[in-house]
Amino acid sequence: MTDPAKARAAKSRPITGGSVNEADLPVTTGVAWDARAKPAESPLAQGLRRLRKSTTAVVGAVIVAVLVVVALFADVLAPLSPIASNQARTFASPSWEHPLGTDQLGRDMLSRVIHGSRISLLVGVSSVLLALFVGVPFGMMAGFYGGRVDALIMRVMDLILAFPIYLLAIILMVIFTPTAGLIGTMKVTGAIAIVRIPIYARLVRGSVLSIKEKEYVEACRALGVRDPWILFRHVLPNCLAPIIVTTTLGIATSIIVEATLSFLGLGTQPPTPSWGWDLKANVAFIQANAWLSLFPGLAIFVTVLGFNLFGDGLRDALDPRLK
Amino acid sequence: MRTYILRRLIEIVPTVLMITFVVFVMMRSVPGDPVVSVLGDAYTEEDAIKAREEYGLNKPIVVQYGIWLGKLVRGDWGASILTGRPVLQDVLIRLPVTLELIVLSMAVALAIAIPAAIIGALRQNTWADYTATSAAMVGVSIPEFFIGVLLLLIFSIGLGGLLPSSGWVYLPGTCPSMVCGSSLWGNLQHVLLPAIALGVGRAAILTRLLRASMLEVIRTEYVTTARAKGLSERPIVFKHALKNALIPTVTVMGLQVGFLIGGAIVVETLFAMPGLGTFGIDAIIARDYQQVQGFALLTALAFVVMNLVVDLTYTFLDPRIRYT
Repeated sequence: MTDPAKARAAKSRPITGGSVNEADLPVTTGVAWDARAKPAESPLAQGLRRLRKSTTAVVGAVIVAVLVVVALFADVLAPLSPIASNQARTFASPSWEHPLGTDQLGRDMLSRVIHGSRISLLVGVSSVLLALFVGVPFGMMAGFYGGRVDALIMRVMDLILAFPIYLLAIILMVIFTPTAGLIGTMKVTGAIAIVRIPIYARLVRGSVLSIKEKEYVEACRALGVRDPWILFRHVLPNCLAPIIVTTTLGIATSIIVEATLSFLGLGTQPPTPSWGWDLKANVAFIQANAWLSLFPGLAIFVTVLGFNLFGDGLRDALDPRLK
Repeated sequence: MRTYILRRLIEIVPTVLMITFVVFVMMRSVPGDPVVSVLGDAYTEEDAIKAREEYGLNKPIVVQYGIWLGKLVRGDWGASILTGRPVLQDVLIRLPVTLELIVLSMAVALAIAIPAAIIGALRQNTWADYTATSAAMVGVSIPEFFIGVLLLLIFSIGLGGLLPSSGWVYLPGTCPSMVCGSSLWGNLQHVLLPAIALGVGRAAILTRLLRASMLEVIRTEYVTTARAKGLSERPIVFKHALKNALIPTVTVMGLQVGFLIGGAIVVETLFAMPGLGTFGIDAIIARDYQQVQGFALLTALAFVVMNLVVDLTYTFLDPRIRYT
């Protein structure tokens, strides 16, 4: 069905009939504008320029960048192993040796907080991307084809949306049975992604519904361009701004959902370090060792704050109408 | 209007059926078997088969759902497989606890959000506005359980046990048994921290939204007209601007119900409250099918009824909105 080569050929067909490339015109003096002036700034470039000026976005980006570095180099940065217990030094107060103290198994809290960033970021980012890669194509198909395809896809999406999200995420995690390590992380990612798919499908469907009526899409159709090419080359780029904003802010939400699932004991299981789990485990000892539950919570807060600030800045920069 | 409400009430039925059916199927695909938990470790395969027959767990899922539904319409919510207690009875004991928590947390949210949003919008780009927006940003970034932990640290541990850290004192009249004590003051002490923990996040979301829509509304012509005819600032803000600005906020408050249910689970777990949230999560983890069904039914009902209430609130806020 799809024939990108043919479509490309159709697209690069020389334009004839009245239009000449302005840049090729000889430069003549006395015309009203410089024909060789730089082309107008693209919307993306404009957005990036606005983004650099936004303090919130820059602060958010710095927080996120630092966290990514911490997660990537956790092995190097963490002073001790996050899972090695030391029965001789349980509940140690913060000291030079253990800057954030140790937990009930004598594990170094600083190392656990550093390693915990991996789960939060990995689940936060990958669950949103997974939802994006499933939700966006479905939303595009629903919006573009309408009719029965639309009804079928949106019925399924509405079914997922009809659930209170935590109820669905919790039951999905019970079905997947939480485990430790990478597999456990993938299960949490999957559960959160399923809950988030309809958000993208709805968002994209709405944008596509208005974009498909535009003249340039009609022109493509008239030229005989195949549907997938129209969808990915002409429709998708025009609904990118809300997708990017939703994704950034969605990472913040997903990190909270992950932490909440871990807090309820349904996230990635120990010994894999996870902030939500650490917070839950240490709340039991909050009377005598208050700092233990403080640090994982602060880590979650700072991470979510970073993505929220960056997402807010992005929204203002990419789509001023949404402000 | 009446026909509209009637139609919406009828539409609730298929949605609730769908949610409860999906939960029914999902719970039965959970690895593990409640029968095993009932029988304990030492059981023979024969015992298990017999027990499954007794609870009707050997029948096809659709038939099981039909049986559950048939009993439900006759007012029988089934009995817990693990404890043998009727589900409806347990749910009714726990419902007031969660309702009180949610209503109070919404009150906390509105009490913070409405003044903060009005100040932020009327004094845009002043330090008051920056304080309100920054506080809201912090608020949306803290998960409920961490706010709860911070409140515990401050009020239960820091201030020498000013407020209790866990447990529950029932409101007079909701006490489920003879032995539990109930008092208004004790109840208030126990519900305050959880309600704030659950309310702060909502307050932050509402502040951001309400401030944005207030900013839009105060630039409209009817607000200029109201000012031009010499109306004082108070009726302009509360009667003209706030009421219209509340429309998108109410929509989001309705959508927040899904998050509130999750928040209630978390906050009730943290503060060890005997509410529906802890009931639901315990039932799901224990694979107590009947209890999970009861929880799902109630959650689904709360969810769809809230959406209806939201749609009806529009007509109060904006009389131009009419349903036929």
